[in-house]
Amino acid sequence: MNDTLIQDSIKIASKAISKISESDESTNLWMWIALAELGIIVYLVFKEKFKSKVSSKQQFKSESLNQEIDFNNIINSSFNSEKLYDELKVKCHPDRFPMDNEKNLIAENIFQQITKNKTNIKRLLELKDEAIQKLNINF
Amino acid sequence: MFENAWNNIIDWFRDRSERAKLVRSFNESAKNSFISGIAPTLLKASISKGESSYKHQFSNWLNSGYRIQAFTGRVLTKNELIYIGKVILADSVLVRKLIVLGFDTLEIHGDAGTYGCRWQLKDYIPLPKFDENE
Repeated sequence: MNDTLIQDSIKIASKAISKISESDESTNLWMWIALAELGIIVYLVFKEKFKSKVSSKQQFKSESLNQEIDFNNIINSSFNSEKLYDELKVKCHPDRFPMDNEKNLIAENIFQQITKNKTNIKRLLELKDEAIQKLNINF
Repeated sequence: MFENAWNNIIDWFRDRSERAKLVRSFNESAKNSFISGIAPTLLKASISKGESSYKHQFSNWLNSGYRIQAFTGRVLTKNELIYIGKVILADSVLVRKLIVLGFDTLEIHGDAGTYGCRWQLKDYIPLPKFDENE
C-alpha cells in the first residue's frame, strides 16, 4: 500500500517537473524573440541616428554637385566682360538722366545690376538689351 | 561600419569622376571658344598639387589645386591672369563645386614657367561648420 502511494507520488512529482520544464522552455523562447526584437530596434535607431549625422555634410556636397556650370560663359567673360562693363557703366550711369526721374530710377537699378554682375557677360548682355529698351540708349 | 566603408569607397570613385569631368568640361569649352575666336588664348585646366596651407574640411590629401594655364595663342599679362581668376571666383556655383570636390587652391598660370597667381578657395564662399564627430 505504502509502495503504491510512493510510486503515485513519484509519478505526480515527475509530471509536475516535466510541466515546469516545458513552461520554462516556452519562456526562454519568448525571451529570445524579445531580445532579437530589441536588437533590431536598437540597430535601426542607431542606423537612423548615424544617417542623420552624416547627411548634413553629405547634403551640402550633393546640393553643390547637382548644380550646372556654364563654362562657355566663364571663358567668354574672362576675355570680353571687362570691355562691355566699362562701356555699360558709362552709358547707363544714373547721372546721365538728371531731369527724368523715372529714367533715373531705371538707370540706377540697371547700374546696380551691372556692378553686381561685372564679370558675367551673359547677364551684362541682358542688361544692355534692357538699357536699350527702357532708356533708349544707342550703343 | 562595413556599409560606411563601402559608401566611402563609392564616394571616392564618384569624386574622382566628377573632378575629371570638371576639368574635361572646362577644356572642351576653352577649345571651342579659342576655335570660334571668342578667346584669344587657349586655356587648359588641370589638377595640380595645390597649396597645403589652404586646406579646408573637404580638401583632398593630394592634388588639391585646380590649375588653369594659357596654352597657346597670345601671351597673357598679369592683369589678364588676375581677371580670369576673378571671373572664376565670382561664380559661386563653380567655387562651391570645386570646394566639395576637394580642391582648395585656384592657380592661373601663364604659358612660361611658374609665372602665375593663386587664390585660396575657402575665402570666397561661406563654408558651414560641420561637426568633426560626424
